[in-house]
Amino acid sequence: MTFYEKELNRIRSIVYSNEGQINTVIGIRNYIENNYDLDLNLELLSHTQLISKFHLLRLFKKYYGQTPRQYLIDKRIEKSKEHLTIGLSVTETCFAVGFESLGSFSTLFKTKTGKSPTEFQKEQLSRSEIDSEFGTLEY
Amino acid sequence: MKVTLISIPVRDQEKALKFYTEKLGFLKKKDVPLGGENRWLTLVSAEWQDGPELLLEPAPNHFEPCKVFQDALMEAGFPYTQFDVDDVDAEYERLTKLEVDFSVKPTKMGTVKFAVFNDTCGNNIQLVEEL
Repeated sequence: MTFYEKELNRIRSIVYSNEGQINTVIGIRNYIENNYDLDLNLELLSHTQLISKFHLLRLFKKYYGQTPRQYLIDKRIEKSKEHLTIGLSVTETCFAVGFESLGSFSTLFKTKTGKSPTEFQKEQLSRSEIDSEFGTLEY
Repeated sequence: MKVTLISIPVRDQEKALKFYTEKLGFLKKKDVPLGGENRWLTLVSAEWQDGPELLLEPAPNHFEPCKVFQDALMEAGFPYTQFDVDDVDAEYERLTKLEVDFSVKPTKMGTVKFAVFNDTCGNNIQLVEEL
């Protein structure tokens, strides 16, 4: 057994010994992955796993290193990039990934990526036009 | 400040370029001659071409402590660099067929699944999938 494998076993026994908790947080992450476009909140997430919302928040942070909210926002931004790249409008994108206000979506997008959704889309579309004369507007 | 570069020490840049592009699927982005055999050689992910660049640097050939550290990591089975993948099992299958040598097969540990392979240039590389 290499030193690395020994270290992994040591960490596994400290951090990952509670199988029940791990299944719970994986379940929550999967739920966010599949439902990021809905109006998710702690209340709803906690109902999916039948635990209290405070416990959920604590567990999620413990295993994934960020809160469910932060995780959800990153997921939505990642998805919105995909939507913008294939040519959805900024408004369509905003609602398609579960944000409710265009203003806060644009601000958040700029904070996270360094560009506004419109700037990002222009760049992506001009790039794909170089790849193909027809662009990639069909979806 | 922005994070845009990840450095990987390699013994042979040309060999590393072949391995990282032909087997792992990265694309060459920059290749600047730096005198002698040395190059400023960077790669990007095919699916994230404006993402961070991977610098294949010949540090072990020029700076002994780097070589010592790299050898020690290799012997201990330690990966110093890891890449995210969507599906560790699928990558394991794909790379095994390309004769990439894994020291750790796909293994589930808590909220991640990972595997470790030898990049043939002196490093263990870890693939990680978040569960």
